[in-house]
Amino acid sequence: MARTMDERELEAVLGDIGARLAYPRPTRMADAVRARLREPRPRRRWIARLVPALVTVALLVLVVALASPGVRAAANELLRLRGIDIFPVPSVPAPTTPPPSASPAGRFPGTHVTLADARGRVSFPIRVPADLGEPDEVYVERVGTSDHVTLVYLAAPGRPAPSAAMPDVAAVVVELRGGFDEAFLGKGVGPGTRVEPVTVNGAAGSWIEGQPHFFFYRDAQGGIQQETLRLAGNTLIWIEGDVTLRLEAQVSKDVAIGIATRFR
Amino acid sequence: MEGRPTEDSGLVERAKHGDQDAYAELVTRYQAMAARTAYVITGSDADAEEAAQEAFVKAYYALDRFRPGAPFRPWLLRIVANEAINRRKAAGRRPTVDLSVALDRPSPDTALSPEGAALASERRDLVLAALRALRDEDRLVIAYRYFFELSEAEMAEALGVARGTVKSRLSRALDRLRVVIERTPADG
Repeated sequence: MARTMDERELEAVLGDIGARLAYPRPTRMADAVRARLREPRPRRRWIARLVPALVTVALLVLVVALASPGVRAAANELLRLRGIDIFPVPSVPAPTTPPPSASPAGRFPGTHVTLADARGRVSFPIRVPADLGEPDEVYVERVGTSDHVTLVYLAAPGRPAPSAAMPDVAAVVVELRGGFDEAFLGKGVGPGTRVEPVTVNGAAGSWIEGQPHFFFYRDAQGGIQQETLRLAGNTLIWIEGDVTLRLEAQVSKDVAIGIATRFR
Repeated sequence: MEGRPTEDSGLVERAKHGDQDAYAELVTRYQAMAARTAYVITGSDADAEEAAQEAFVKAYYALDRFRPGAPFRPWLLRIVANEAINRRKAAGRRPTVDLSVALDRPSPDTALSPEGAALASERRDLVLAALRALRDEDRLVIAYRYFFELSEAEMAEALGVARGTVKSRLSRALDRLRVVIERTPADG
């Protein structure tokens, strides 16, 4: 039998399946729900809500007190328990970015490929910002079990002004497969850096203004990975389905969110 | 038909002020839809039932965050789907789900020739097997569109995405479904 179906056939078969699924038989759920609502609301809800905050505070104290590799490892371990958004650290390591004179291909992690190649290599759909158009350079890197795609936009008229860290780069977009509905994002931010929760396309995101240098995300297997930011500029991080996207550019929050809403 | 918005909003308003009878009415109204949505994710009656019930309890306590005048059904479905997905993740379930077609359902194939009916049934099995292998989120978006026939606006609300994103979500889910179908061995 042919294994291909055109769109209309597939849609018809799906409609047919939908009408025949062995759905649960109707029950009197209202009674059960009502009984649950009569129970006193469990107090541990509040404790459960407090735990992440306490863990965050503990983490902050630890990191501030002893910013050492050992504590970093412990922090990673704690982060594994629950997605913790953003935490400040007293100082950040100097960017490991090579000087701008380095060859373009050496500045970003991974293999330099074309956009079409990248699309064939990674397991999620790569989306590009309509405002910036096709990227000038694309890199694909496999970190553990997760593919990272880096889209690089070189400085050009009409594009965001480059940052001091990379005077010839206008913007960088990084896409990787991360958590679905929880913002398992963490970020080491330097003193004086502003972090603000934002909404991008209806999903949770974070806007970071200042000098962020490394950032955490949860990979497809649930492990926490650390990654260094490239431009040391303003950063918008948001989630689309199970893909985490990051836009680094020297633009305002509103401009960044505007760019983020026009990915295709 | 997009629920009964006017009546829903009246019930929601009363439930917000602690009227549990009003909330029970909403539960009765949407329990089948909630259980079906959860079933698409869990593939198990019992799990779907539990997830739907838990979602109704959670939704009740979240009513103060419900936007007045917004449609209740997609808002509820979003909570149901999250609950079902989280339960499956927490239980460490395998990626495939035991979704099945009811045998006792009257067949609309009666107008077909025996050969036609056999082909339709074969196609159904093929697509159903592919659906089982899809990610929960992809199966959900397909179910919203083709099983429950939600409007685009309702899908956006239920999926928690911008309206413009619904089409691309759906088409990506269908693309992945097609890939699974095409990779199915011919003797499968």
